[in-house]
Amino acid sequence: MFSGLQNPRNIAAQIMNFGLVLSTAFMMWKGLSIVADSPSPIVVVLSGSMEPAFQRGDLLLLWNRELFTETSVGDIVVYNVKDKEIPIVHRVVRKFGHGDKARLLTKGDNNVADDTELYARGQDYLERSDIVGSVVAYVPFVGYVTILLSEYPWLKTAMLGIMGLMVVLQRE
Amino acid sequence: MAAEKISLYNLADLKNTADDAIPNYLNSLKFKQTHFLSDVRLGLGYTAFVICAACFAWDYKLGFEDTKIYTAIAVALYTLLNGALTFWMMFVEKGVVYQGTSPSGEKITVVSTTKKLDPTYRLSITVTDKSAKSHIIEVAKPFASFFDESGYFVAVPFQEILATAVPVIGKLDPRRIKSESQDMLNANPELLDAILAANNGASTGVDASEGGKRRKA
Repeated sequence: MFSGLQNPRNIAAQIMNFGLVLSTAFMMWKGLSIVADSPSPIVVVLSGSMEPAFQRGDLLLLWNRELFTETSVGDIVVYNVKDKEIPIVHRVVRKFGHGDKARLLTKGDNNVADDTELYARGQDYLERSDIVGSVVAYVPFVGYVTILLSEYPWLKTAMLGIMGLMVVLQRE
Repeated sequence: MAAEKISLYNLADLKNTADDAIPNYLNSLKFKQTHFLSDVRLGLGYTAFVICAACFAWDYKLGFEDTKIYTAIAVALYTLLNGALTFWMMFVEKGVVYQGTSPSGEKITVVSTTKKLDPTYRLSITVTDKSAKSHIIEVAKPFASFFDESGYFVAVPFQEILATAVPVIGKLDPRRIKSESQDMLNANPELLDAILAANNGASTGVDASEGGKRRKA
């Protein structure tokens, strides 16, 4: 497996191949970001607040360009709240004004009240710039792995262990 | 050179080990290896990687919104470079494992291929002489002819294959030239004895076999 490593060009080529796998994945993600104009074009649903539309673990594809229609009432959007880490997926229920000045109110389909409670202190509505994107497509359940990994950290250790074992077993 | 034991059931391992042996052998015969093809490949690949790393850095430090244009440019450049890299490997390098010039000035290009489920090492050797005339020599040998049963590479038969098939190499390493008739002699010790007796052991193996043939006819 490492027999070709005496030659510096072979070492360089092997490091390059490994680096290109990582960088291609990153650049594909960035390319998707650019096309969708969204810093995070794919998100995983973490809560059940949008049931029955979305369940925990659904993978959402976002689109953040208003080419033909503006974000309007009824759209499901992902938004960020100042000083909160986790983006929220909820439906726009009210909208005042147009364009960049529009004020939006959101609510989870499965929640009793609208989202004013979830917004930052003193914030009553969302602005267009708070929104990361509107949901245009989803894949059910695929993202559940990431939820499992973040909720049961020992799984990360177990996965690393299995991967390490496979490397060791494959070498000889 | 081939101190490492490999799995005989892994075609990629077999091919890589044999590929590595070609520059070792040819460079030992004072061939001058050219690294142009692989240097271009490495240049393209590492430039793409550096662009990606820079993109990651500014994205991490400054956020998405402020660096959008630069990220778009980086993505476009990365796609171009990666496309060029793929093109280079598929249409220019095409599996070249060695390029070099012999001490007498002939250019030699060695391409190696294998086919799935077929343990045969296929070499296509292009030799271009000083008057820019080139001819192609195709060699196909089973890997079993230069790997022992426990998975070690054996250099001598491998070098014999190259020296016998390619006159440019054979000229530099005549000891490794192996003729068909010599194969026959090895398989048939009595024949060898007969020839040696007839020639009084006065000549080398190659000459002796010629003499032997003539006498038999």
